[in-house]
Amino acid sequence: MNAELLFDAALILLLLALAAATLHTRKLYTAIVLFIVFGLMLALTWARLGAVDLALAEAAIGAGLIGVMLLAAFGRSGPEAATRAPPAVLAASVLLCSLLLVLFAQGVWPLANNSAPVPELVNSHLAASGVSHPVTAVLLNFRAWDTLLELVVLLLALLGVRQLHSPNMNLPAAWPLLQAWSRLLAPLSIVIGGYLLWRGSHAPGGAFQAGAVLAAGAIVLRLAGLLPPLRWNWWPMRACVLGGVALFMTIAAAGYWLGSGWLDYPPGLGKTLITLIEIAATVSIAVSLSLLVVGDTREITP
Amino acid sequence: MSHISLYLLGGVALWVLGLHALMTQRNALRRIMAVNVMGSGTFMVMVALAARMTPIDPVLQALVVTGLVVAASATAFALRLATTESPVADVDRERE
Amino acid sequence: MSAALLSLTIPLATAMLLLLFRTRAGTVVIVANTASLVAAMLALDAVMTGAREQLSLGNWDAPLGIRFELGPLTAVLLVFTALIHLLVTIYAQASRHSKTRDTDFWPLSCLLHASLAALWLSRDLFNWYITLELLGLTAVAMIIISGPRSHLPALRYLLLSLAASLCYLLGVAFLYGRYGVLDIRMLAEVVVDDPGTRLAMLLLTLGLMLKAALWPLHQWLPAAHAAAPTAVSALLSALVVKGPLFILWMVWSTLAEPGFARQAGVLFAFAGIAALVSGGWAALRTPWLKVLVAYSTVAQLGYALLALGLLLYWQDPEMSIALWLFVLAHGLAKVSMFLGAGEMQATLGSRRVSALKGASQTMPLAMFAFAVAGGSLIGLPPSGGFIAKWVLLQPLLVEPSHWPWALGVLLGTLASAGYVFRVVTIAFNRADPSSPGHDPDTAAQWLAMLPALIVWAMALLSEPLILWFQEVGL
Repeated sequence: MNAELLFDAALILLLLALAAATLHTRKLYTAIVLFIVFGLMLALTWARLGAVDLALAEAAIGAGLIGVMLLAAFGRSGPEAATRAPPAVLAASVLLCSLLLVLFAQGVWPLANNSAPVPELVNSHLAASGVSHPVTAVLLNFRAWDTLLELVVLLLALLGVRQLHSPNMNLPAAWPLLQAWSRLLAPLSIVIGGYLLWRGSHAPGGAFQAGAVLAAGAIVLRLAGLLPPLRWNWWPMRACVLGGVALFMTIAAAGYWLGSGWLDYPPGLGKTLITLIEIAATVSIAVSLSLLVVGDTREITP
Repeated sequence: MSHISLYLLGGVALWVLGLHALMTQRNALRRIMAVNVMGSGTFMVMVALAARMTPIDPVLQALVVTGLVVAASATAFALRLATTESPVADVDRERE
Repeated sequence: MSAALLSLTIPLATAMLLLLFRTRAGTVVIVANTASLVAAMLALDAVMTGAREQLSLGNWDAPLGIRFELGPLTAVLLVFTALIHLLVTIYAQASRHSKTRDTDFWPLSCLLHASLAALWLSRDLFNWYITLELLGLTAVAMIIISGPRSHLPALRYLLLSLAASLCYLLGVAFLYGRYGVLDIRMLAEVVVDDPGTRLAMLLLTLGLMLKAALWPLHQWLPAAHAAAPTAVSALLSALVVKGPLFILWMVWSTLAEPGFARQAGVLFAFAGIAALVSGGWAALRTPWLKVLVAYSTVAQLGYALLALGLLLYWQDPEMSIALWLFVLAHGLAKVSMFLGAGEMQATLGSRRVSALKGASQTMPLAMFAFAVAGGSLIGLPPSGGFIAKWVLLQPLLVEPSHWPWALGVLLGTLASAGYVFRVVTIAFNRADPSSPGHDPDTAAQWLAMLPALIVWAMALLSEPLILWFQEVGL
């Protein structure tokens, strides 16, 4: 018991130290690398806290994709201007943050021993949800509306980036070793992605994790020059991005106007519909994330 | 003291660290990372709260999965927005 | 409820279709907005009796699932959202100066419409977090349509908006950790007044105030709203800041215990008066026309904040009616003001207030729209702004002990009169008029005036509206 507590304390201190170092180290490049390490340690923390779904999502999205995007952004950004906050701001911020920390510590302390009624409800309705993994049941059945809107958020991020009309990325000529590796990694990402998607119905995994892994495969292939440019103005690309939200909306509306309720799956069809939505969402997430990272931004106007 | 309390404290500490950096840093990439650290702190509080009971609360975990994707999408957008070449507006603002 | 859902589904489906076919056809959006407006009106008709329709999404009752509720206020807000979208999209389609024609403004405005409808209908704290993120991201994506000049304010807005969301989310996590439910009505039944709950409320409030640009967390708003294309500025000021305000009102009016509400109410009311004065002062001094209009939004939100504060301080439901009347009147007036200002600045070719010299002669219609909308913001009778102010002032005037608050309202009125007349006097200075760079676009100027005329017509409608709100509650 004590050894476990020691491990937890060490993990938390490490996370805090990494975060502080990330945010305050002198060199921006070091900060980014430390941030990626921070993301990986965070994934470990989620696993320690029993949130395997989240550990997978964090490793793939939080550390992986965000890391790639940060490094790409570092490459695009110019040298950092050495401006520091005026001492008055610094002092005020330190004061305010210490005050908040004390308040929050008092606030969270009593929460450790509370319990909530919802987990039991989830378990008692799990059989009716169509899937046997509780997190997937919450994401795609009990609180499916959140998930639908979340797909719209992803779409919006993509649309936002398109408004920038930034020039296309100049990809350097691929390195032969990268090409060789990516030939190996890409099929692996498809296998792992597919496995994660399939696993989601009964064990940790699911559309987001699978989508992120597939996107990582697509990004590696694109960087190695083995994929053609990913273009928004190619209609199947758009259909893939929009498919997740469109299918979800169709099922929701059909349920309301033809069946028993908004987002209510007809009895017996739950599992099929959830699987369909998950597949569409996975494709949509994978394509959106790939477009966000390595998409061609220059448009050929119709 | 259980390990849950430790993680709850760690979570709020991360949140506050992120806020401090957001208020004092000037570089866009650093500020984006600061917001992400704040997000990680929030998620750590939520995951620790989920882990305080057995069986683990799947609702909170699902909320964090959703929150993570939302945060990652917004971060991706912010990163592109921060680093897209923009002719600095001050010059032509003076001209008018 | 099915009409309300239709009002939400139509814009979302339209956005999907526009994106899939890559068309930027404004007419499609106008038709969709009209259909959504009709659906929203049907929804309003369904709750005329004051019945509240509930919908458990996926047939999972709260606390397991998410709940939608269609009450009188929600129905009115759905109609309001669809109406503003309709007016703005017609302008954006017709105006030659609107820089939104061949852009992604169209699908984005549909997504904004759908996000707002989802926010008004939802009653779930976590679902609100996602709709808030949707609002923030749509707003930023629409601001940067206007080009590289807007990137810096947009980035600032995006970062602050993200930080605010996380502040809100931490508050939600605290509440869930304490009570284990996310539905606001269920939470209201179990909530008790203790330090942990107060801390969570503080976090929710800070996040929402930052998102709604309520004083003193408003600094991001003027630059961001002024940098956007004209049609987008109108949508942002009229609608986007009202979403977080709705959640703030909902959270405080249902979750706060009377004792705590009284304490917080005073703070809200003072912040409201500070917003009125400081926003008005900044609007009086800025050299840029659209920044002036944006600061006027900061000032006008002060009325909403004051009404919220007094609602909590006196526990007087009448103040809720005043708050929402302000929101409706301000939304319509601000659309007119931004569209009029945008027309003038595009035609005159300068973003400065001083360039408006002689605009009453060269562009009488746009100037008239600006002045008429300004009249409602000042609260001249018989405009919608006047009615809202009247509802707010009535309880202030009956008791002598409340008069200091009325003084705050008076200060705010003077400040708004100041910045409206600043523009009007320059426009009537016909000695050396700036000549328009392009021909004035008459049709677009008429469209800019339309919302202002509606807000004056609102005065006729508002008596039944107030009586209805008093009868059935919000």
